[in-house]
Amino acid sequence: MQRRSILSWGAAGLVALWSAIGVSLAAVVRFLTPSVFYEPPQIFKIGDPADFPYGPPAFLANEKIFVFRDRERGFAVASAVCTHLGCTVAFFQSDDRFHCPCHGSVFAENGTVVHGPAPKALPWFEVTLARDGKLQVDKDHVVPASYRLVV
Amino acid sequence: MNPIRDAWRSIVRRDPLSTDKGKAELIFLNLWLHIHPVKVKKENFRVKHTFYLGFITFFLFLILVTTGVALMVYYRPSAPQAYQDMKDLQFVVYLGSFLRNMHRWAAHAMVICVFLHLCRVFYTGSYKQPRQFNWVIGVFLFLLTLGLSFTGYLLPWDQLAFWAITVGTNIGSYAPLMGARLRELLLGGHIVGESALLRFYVLHVAVLPSAVVLLTMVHFWRIRKDGGLSRPVWKLKPQRSAELVSIGAPESPAPLAVAPASQDKTYGLMEVVTGKPIFETVTAEEEEDAVFSYPYAFFREGIALLATVTTVMAVSLFWKAPLEEIANPAKTPNPAKAPWYFLGLQELVSHSALLGGVIVPTLAVLALIAIPYLDPNPSRRPEDRKWANRIFTVFVVVNVVLIVIGTFFRGPGWAFVAPWSHVPGAE
Repeated sequence: MQRRSILSWGAAGLVALWSAIGVSLAAVVRFLTPSVFYEPPQIFKIGDPADFPYGPPAFLANEKIFVFRDRERGFAVASAVCTHLGCTVAFFQSDDRFHCPCHGSVFAENGTVVHGPAPKALPWFEVTLARDGKLQVDKDHVVPASYRLVV
Repeated sequence: MNPIRDAWRSIVRRDPLSTDKGKAELIFLNLWLHIHPVKVKKENFRVKHTFYLGFITFFLFLILVTTGVALMVYYRPSAPQAYQDMKDLQFVVYLGSFLRNMHRWAAHAMVICVFLHLCRVFYTGSYKQPRQFNWVIGVFLFLLTLGLSFTGYLLPWDQLAFWAITVGTNIGSYAPLMGARLRELLLGGHIVGESALLRFYVLHVAVLPSAVVLLTMVHFWRIRKDGGLSRPVWKLKPQRSAELVSIGAPESPAPLAVAPASQDKTYGLMEVVTGKPIFETVTAEEEEDAVFSYPYAFFREGIALLATVTTVMAVSLFWKAPLEEIANPAKTPNPAKAPWYFLGLQELVSHSALLGGVIVPTLAVLALIAIPYLDPNPSRRPEDRKWANRIFTVFVVVNVVLIVIGTFFRGPGWAFVAPWSHVPGAE
């Protein structure tokens, strides 16, 4: 056997070995990533428009959203999850702002950060009217704070 | 013929312990004891040199394994059963509350003892040649200890657990490029839910303990290979810390290693190798200080073990491990705090998530790992390494102060409060 062929076979062997290791690692990462997430759906119905009165926003604890209903402009849905570390914010009517209990982040009524460590504004989610007349929220679909659904 | 004596002699094959040969054979004929040298130096076992922190940490780990296995018998890692099982352990299972208390307090103690051990090794300069890599292994054991404590924190599935892990894993998600991906892999989803509980359980009872056992074996093995427990600084001879000679093949440009200059006798493998062995040498004078591990070392280790177990048991009799309401994703307690050893980080995170969550911890860990390789000073004497000690002390004090602030001085909305003030409505 020639030296050249030994070297090239050796190099090919090393490449094959490292490729196998790389593929195995990728497979491990893929294995650890669930194919199905058994989590609450991102698109869900929250009820009839008439369920939501005008005035201060309604807080839906399980969905972690605030539902705003404005007499002129209609419905809007804001996330209640602080963009800092995932705590649930509360809406204070006294100053019309969202306050996070964990690290004191404060968000204005339109979701923008007023104070504290939160890196970005609270997102607003698309709210539409489903065929059955219920309000439907899509958490995967972020809309501008000015978005309103007029019913 | 005496079958009982024959059976006994087939198990215990050493000479009687009244003889030196028996004392030596007790150690090197025994799988578990032979991690000890046959003889140890008395000074290395002085309390004021090591405070036995390494031993205590190891004993705490043994307590954690024992109580942990016991708790597993009554624990199901699924929601909401996990929380019900906690209640059962607390009120129904015989000794359940006591075992859980022991597990919880030993875990906190282990985090503290690993850190104190790390400080002791730094201040005595025991990470220096040839022990650099053992320091690195020790840093990884410290990180694994934090990982074990953190994964265990979720298992009770109460409000404290749920929100500490929510906040803690969100801190990690600030890591650039792969932070969010890592969080998803760790949680098995996007929220702290059933799959997160199961994954934390697997990490807590199988993956991380195995890693700790493996690294601990290497850690102990290296101590033996590097000349046993580190010499107290006051026993170092002046020239040992000052003079260094290169060892290795004389004509070779790069020495195999650098070791203290010494005319001393050396112990090494009886094989044909180049140069001297890299571990420390022992002088004839020091040999006179050496005594048999049995009973000298075993007695002292036994005392440390008893003291550790007794303390953990006593604390567990009087203080209960906390258990709050069942985890409620809809209701954030105010304030929501990470486990106490991460409260320094949370304090930084409350100012800047990227700084406190990613940059500072990454740099701190890298700096810890690099210490033995960046420290150019061969001396272990405190008077020769004032600046190293000062810098390290600042690091320790900043850590402690941040943790104290996060633990005691932060109230609802992460506002600054006095620890003794009662805040109405605070949970």
